[in-house]
Amino acid sequence: MADTIKQDGRPEALRIENLSIGFGGLKALDDLSFMVYEKEIFGLIGPNGAGKTTVFNCITQFYKPDSGNVFFRVENARLPKKEKKTDSGGDGADGMVNLVGRPVHSIIKLGLVRTFQNVEIIPELSLIDNVLIGAHVDFKSNMFDQAFRLPRARREEKIYHEKALEAMRFLGIDDKKDELAGGQPYGVLKKIEMTRTLMSNPRLIILDEPAAGLNDVETEELAEIIRRIREQYQCTILLVEHDMRLVMNICDRICAISFGKFLAMGSPEEIQKNTLVQEAYLGEKEDE
Amino acid sequence: MDMILQPFMRSLETGSVYALAALGIIIVWRTSLVMHFAQGSMGMFGATAVAFVFNRAGAPLWISVLAGVGVAVFLGFGVDFAIIRRLKRATAVGKEIITLGLIMVFLGLAPIIFGTDPMLLPRFIKSGDLNIGSAAISYNGILNIAIGVAVAAVLFLVLQKTKIGLAIRATASNESTARLMGIPTRSVTLFAWALAGVLGMLAGVMIAPSVTVTPTFMNTVQVSALFACVLGGFQTFYGPVIGAYIIAVASNFLKLYVSSVWGDQLMYVMILVFLLFRPNGLIGRTYMQKV
Amino acid sequence: MNPTLKNIQAGAILKNAHVQFIIFGVILCFLPAIAASGAMKSSTLSTLAFVLIYSIVSIGLNLLLGYSGLVSLGTAGFMGLGAYLAAYFVENLNLSFWLAILAALVVPTIIGVGVGIVSLRVRSIYLAIATLCISEILLKTFEQLEWFTNGTAGKQSHFPVIFGVQTDRAGMFIVIVVALVLIMMLTHNVVHGQLGRALHAMRSSEVAAQAMGVNILKYKLVAFALATMYAGLAGALYLFFLKSSYPSTWNLFLSLNVIAMVVVGGLRSIFGTIAGCFIIVAIPELVLKKLPVIGDINGLPYIFSGVLIVVVIMFFPQGLKGLADLIVVAFRRKGKKQTADELVKSAD
Repeated sequence: MADTIKQDGRPEALRIENLSIGFGGLKALDDLSFMVYEKEIFGLIGPNGAGKTTVFNCITQFYKPDSGNVFFRVENARLPKKEKKTDSGGDGADGMVNLVGRPVHSIIKLGLVRTFQNVEIIPELSLIDNVLIGAHVDFKSNMFDQAFRLPRARREEKIYHEKALEAMRFLGIDDKKDELAGGQPYGVLKKIEMTRTLMSNPRLIILDEPAAGLNDVETEELAEIIRRIREQYQCTILLVEHDMRLVMNICDRICAISFGKFLAMGSPEEIQKNTLVQEAYLGEKEDE
Repeated sequence: MDMILQPFMRSLETGSVYALAALGIIIVWRTSLVMHFAQGSMGMFGATAVAFVFNRAGAPLWISVLAGVGVAVFLGFGVDFAIIRRLKRATAVGKEIITLGLIMVFLGLAPIIFGTDPMLLPRFIKSGDLNIGSAAISYNGILNIAIGVAVAAVLFLVLQKTKIGLAIRATASNESTARLMGIPTRSVTLFAWALAGVLGMLAGVMIAPSVTVTPTFMNTVQVSALFACVLGGFQTFYGPVIGAYIIAVASNFLKLYVSSVWGDQLMYVMILVFLLFRPNGLIGRTYMQKV
Repeated sequence: MNPTLKNIQAGAILKNAHVQFIIFGVILCFLPAIAASGAMKSSTLSTLAFVLIYSIVSIGLNLLLGYSGLVSLGTAGFMGLGAYLAAYFVENLNLSFWLAILAALVVPTIIGVGVGIVSLRVRSIYLAIATLCISEILLKTFEQLEWFTNGTAGKQSHFPVIFGVQTDRAGMFIVIVVALVLIMMLTHNVVHGQLGRALHAMRSSEVAAQAMGVNILKYKLVAFALATMYAGLAGALYLFFLKSSYPSTWNLFLSLNVIAMVVVGGLRSIFGTIAGCFIIVAIPELVLKKLPVIGDINGLPYIFSGVLIVVVIMFFPQGLKGLADLIVVAFRRKGKKQTADELVKSAD
């Protein structure tokens, strides 16, 4: 599909088109469409079971949607060799590519990285090693280089080590870099996961309930971190969140869904006033 | 002698043996999510017990088989009760490795308990052939085929029509939900392991007359049964049974018409190649992993 | 330099894994001399050589089992293939020791990768079944392909000539030690670099690893290829040490024994694995056989390995390595965050 520039002149980072997926006859997503601008903090909300995480899993290709497309803006340089456009635009140009059907592990190379609801950290590794996994796809040295510790592998390791330290400093966890991740407080684990996303030079970061399990002070800090990440790394942020204060506090725009269907889209104020959204959440309250 | 019908009938006989062993593997897999590598060696142990009672105590064959059923049920209960159900924390691989360890235990124990001399087991029906055209099959062969088909049929009926069958199927489809619905999943898995033991023992007793009863005499059966499950797919109970008969037929014909030495090996390679094209087996479906 | 500083530096050097491996190797190199002096039985030296050979195999299988959670039942087959290839290259083709080793490394790996590609795409458990089948095929090959293996009569070989030096039993022992130390170092490097982090990520959560760009199929294949390669190498060393190879050696029980070595030693631990090999290989040979009455029982080593597998998985899921960690923790409770409890927890 052609590269479309929206009315206010801002380019889009991600466009979900008519996404549908069912699990055993149950429609988890039903013809869902929405679009995220570049450098925007975008919130996806909805009552329990609305299908928010399913949207994430469809974007990152953990689930293959039954129908619909996920278009994502990718710099030409990041595309796999076969897809690179050499004739026009050169390496600087970027365009929308469809993510549907790509292998899960290839998504991060395109500049899209995610975190997980239940923090996925490797307890046996140190904090910095956990962060370094974020740079996995950038490593050029092969197994042979690494097995024999050839200069190439060592040089590369050093470069990314520095990069990881810098990212850890940015989130204030560099002082613990050599400690094991296992046994660290939850807040630190969340920060490791965030730091790890920064290692891949992301264009879009997807955060799955980043505030879950954090207290009020930590949630405040998180909001600040998310804003700073956008400023520093010039990337788009898409988050699914239950904590309404966080969403209303930091999001530029919000999309509300319910039972896999689009409900409303707008600024935090508009969403708060929207009766459909209120009803969807009220219904949930009564159920509880 | 008929060169098509004769080996075909023979194949049905070995197919029945493989089918029983495969059923044991699949029923454990579906209820406990454990790949039962020790199915063959547990069957060996049961069948050796039968041979022991028959040869050393001089009991009639049918009494020996009943004793074998007792041993097999006891082993099945024992393995589930003492080991498998206590492994709540172990991973699936951990449980598989346990069944691999059990192979060694049964293999080491059998000669200690039953003696190191190889034993023989007679056929149920001593002699007599049935002639179909130019092909001939022994009455015992017919009995073996009948046992295989009957056991499979009864098992499917039990699975589909009875309360126990419903409990097994519910456990197979989702263990924790089944438990919440009040299904005694522990009894179901206990039953499954015992049943697997009995099926393995039966398979052993059926194949024993054509070989000698040694600790390794069930190896081919075990490998074939595993392949039957791969070929038929792990998602249904009947897939592996179909797979077992296909493997028996393929193996016999390959041995007869291609190479008497390399027949089985050729078939193994063919199954691997088949996996390339139908990774989930004949009856298998792809499944989506929940993230 | 003052003495304390010197001590600290010495301590730091000793903590370096590679230095530990080399010291371990140097100590082992004294064993043939001890055997020659008569302080140790010559048969004990052979048993220890087999412990070291199986250590190489088990370190490889530990990569596979420890990081990708996969089981291979083809270890014996690949070892046997390595042994016969080495014998064929040296005895029949009159090629050098090094080419024989190269063949033993490369050919099994290629076959292994092929089997891995076929079986790993579906479900992990298929690898176990596929390797079981390859193992059966290889075993049959060893029995039947007489021009290659000399069939059931067994293939005979000689102590090899390495760098123009004719080796003997003691020399081969040292060659085995050198190979083991090299394998330990390479394995250490592999699991501590980018590749190792990817393996760790895969072990911890395949889903999260994929999101980080780790191609699960590729890394499972890598782990399996390394396991196969180590098995091939160990097979060749086995041949050159024992100077013969019989098909019956390379049966399923050898593969199961190697699994027992890994499980008993503890997942993802190099020294643990070697200790596991010692227990599984040497204890039946040096201790159990000498016991009165039960020592004569043939199946005893099988039962020993089998029971150990079951007991270790049930009660000490981290094996010897976990046991050692618990002891270390018990000895220095100096504000270390890792408690015994956590160690047990991280075992699952």
